[in-house]
Amino acid sequence: MKVLDIALKDLRRFLRNYFFLGLGIGVPVLVGAIFYFAFGGLASDGRFNLPQIDVVVVNLDEPVAAYGNFSAGEMLADFLKSEELGGLLAVTESNSAATARAAVDRQEADVAIIIPADLSAAMFDPQGRAVIEVYHDPTLTIGPGIVKSIVTQFVDALTGSRIAASIAYAQLAKRGVTVDGTTIQNIAMRYGEWSASLAEGQGAGTLLTVRSPAGSKEQGNRLLAMIGGIMASMIIFYAFYAGAASALTILQEKEDGTLPRLSTTPTPMSAILGGKLIAVFALIIVQVSVLMAFSSLVFKTTWGAPGPMLLAIVGLVVLAGSFGIFVMSWLRDTRQAGIVLGGVMTVVGMVGISSVFTGTVPGAGGGIAATLPLFTPHGWALRAWRLAMDGGGIGDVLLPLVVMLALTAVFFSIGVLRFRKRLGGH
Amino acid sequence: MRSIDLMVKDLQQLVRNWMTPVFLVAMPIGFTLFFGMIFSGAGGQSDPRLPVAFVDQDNGSVLSTHLLDLLEASDAIRPVASDESVDRVERKVGKDMAAAVIVPAGYSERVLAGEDVPLTVVADGGTAAGSTAQTAIQAAAVRLRGAVKAAQLSAEALEAQGQAADESFLMGALDEAIAAWRQLPLTVVATQSRAAVEKEEKPSVMATRYGQASPGMMVQFSIAGIMGAAQILVLERKSRSLQRLLTTAISRVEIIVGHYLTMFVMILAQLAVLISFGQLLGVNYMREPVAVLLLAVTMALWTASLGLLIGTLARTEEQAIIFSLIPMFVLSALGGAWMPLEVTGKAFQTVGHLLPTAWAMDGIQNIIVRGLGLESALLPAGIMLAYAVVLFALAAWRFKFE
Repeated sequence: MKVLDIALKDLRRFLRNYFFLGLGIGVPVLVGAIFYFAFGGLASDGRFNLPQIDVVVVNLDEPVAAYGNFSAGEMLADFLKSEELGGLLAVTESNSAATARAAVDRQEADVAIIIPADLSAAMFDPQGRAVIEVYHDPTLTIGPGIVKSIVTQFVDALTGSRIAASIAYAQLAKRGVTVDGTTIQNIAMRYGEWSASLAEGQGAGTLLTVRSPAGSKEQGNRLLAMIGGIMASMIIFYAFYAGAASALTILQEKEDGTLPRLSTTPTPMSAILGGKLIAVFALIIVQVSVLMAFSSLVFKTTWGAPGPMLLAIVGLVVLAGSFGIFVMSWLRDTRQAGIVLGGVMTVVGMVGISSVFTGTVPGAGGGIAATLPLFTPHGWALRAWRLAMDGGGIGDVLLPLVVMLALTAVFFSIGVLRFRKRLGGH
Repeated sequence: MRSIDLMVKDLQQLVRNWMTPVFLVAMPIGFTLFFGMIFSGAGGQSDPRLPVAFVDQDNGSVLSTHLLDLLEASDAIRPVASDESVDRVERKVGKDMAAAVIVPAGYSERVLAGEDVPLTVVADGGTAAGSTAQTAIQAAAVRLRGAVKAAQLSAEALEAQGQAADESFLMGALDEAIAAWRQLPLTVVATQSRAAVEKEEKPSVMATRYGQASPGMMVQFSIAGIMGAAQILVLERKSRSLQRLLTTAISRVEIIVGHYLTMFVMILAQLAVLISFGQLLGVNYMREPVAVLLLAVTMALWTASLGLLIGTLARTEEQAIIFSLIPMFVLSALGGAWMPLEVTGKAFQTVGHLLPTAWAMDGIQNIIVRGLGLESALLPAGIMLAYAVVLFALAAWRFKFE
């Protein structure tokens, strides 16, 4: 009973401690809320809406008088200003490339599209070349990528017409056939019609059948899953903090003299230490439960099937608790704790949960980014949680669970042995 | 002078603890390298384009070969030919591969015969990598089918002239059209603002790789760095050293200034080390040394003011830690130190720019990424200075000696 009394006393003390409440509950909620706010919380339909891209269009293109004042530049400018792109692009026009570039330099615009003077002429000159410049702020990647893709699609339609006309001209010439301008124009027009039908979506399905890989989520669910992943990583990160902070009380009580005093009572040191260890695990259970409940209610996080999730939670609780005991057993006194809590736990934790953030970046999810977290206990805990949250079964979380339990055994044994040695007693 | 003595004492106290340089310098350096590496495409592969599995069930047919050529020419994706089953390839999408493109059996023959046969693309369009890959594959598919269309139009034109368009004519026209699509007469070129073109500087790969991570970690860990100094202040108050100091000739103002100077010098030194390290990584901080100095000084000023305020408000060392960590997380995340604000919503960006961290990021990136000059550092520096004044005034007002 004394073991439980000590555990309850410690637990009560912690739950009244604003340091634990702030760091163990407040900060993870705060970080989750920041990401929720950043990526999905403000979108009315629960989806992420990319902010409008501010585009300055400079149309320097000179119409070709010989072809009825045809102006490819004007067509492109009109296309960019069209209603269908209105939600994506906020287009303004400028007469000067230098002014447009300066607007991008001053961050008044995200992208400047500079249509060259010879664009239309290049359409009709077999040797003609023209370059449309998409000038952008180098800190931006998504917006300029989208703009470039839109402009490229438009330019490809023009290019295709020219290629079709010039190929026909050249190939027929090889067969000794000279075609007139009307035939060439007709070929270019027919290509243009075919290209337009693709652009309008009538023929897009004839080119590609796109399907999502098995297990991928709809966009709305993806946002919730992303916030859920971030909350899971926060729970894991701060569970380890809580484990270390609660194990710190062993050192604190030794310094305050309460432990030596306790050791003069009939309570054996093993019971005292046992009570404190129970408090460490109980505290993490409380913390994890509160954060999961909060995340479910506010961020609509779904945690997967109860069985695998329960195993992942058990793994986290025992691992975070024993890691805390292990780390604190190496400290001389509580003065070192600040650096360990603020430094070591932060570094190990950030590396361990980094896959949550790197996994969303194109090309950044593999290699070292996937391997390095597994050198930390946090990484294995996160793996188990994500497998459970992604709908994995008990068999799926078994491997990370076994690793977590093995790590727990090592950390717990070393930590308890060191504390027993230092505290002495019977 | 007494303030300086106090500062020297504080700094000695901080430096004597071997954990201080670890926390102030080693950690941000480690994280800069880590995030720089992973956000630049994992491990610095020689070809940074997104890998896309290419499954050719049409066994090297004319069109599948041309498609592979067109995909190779993409600046967004690189095809990786695969002999594995579709199921196995599909399982790699979203992990090792950004997408997979499957050319069905008989594709070439049927398309050349005028049938509409779609390619199968497996991609998660909800991810940035998946949608980028899908767009690039679609562009290549449009060009491939455009080449077929051009060849077919040529054949029709030949037949209209009374000659038969045999297979060799069609293939010749197709080859020419594919070649033309690989040497585009009309091109779209993305260029970056001045950093890329000024003084014939090439766009620095390193500036791209570490342009976010280097200033981001600098901003985050400068706030983390004040934790130790704030704890010293708390410790001095708890141990009544501050009260004892008042019995000496040193004035209250000198005590406050002394502690403030400690934090300022410590953060400035930290920033100097991190800037030098960034320079070694290839991030060109030294292209505008005056601007960088101005930004570092104002950054150290406002962060030191925040540290003084934390040291003033915290009653225990634990409080000093939590009062440092919370602003570190909140200000770093909202200010764009963790991720570029570009990927967040408009409201988030607006809120972010109410904070000095977003301005610190803007100021540094104006120099190292955008390639702007001293004038671009003035507004960010001014805003950080304003924060420094307000926070210092608050700290001085609430400063307690007991």
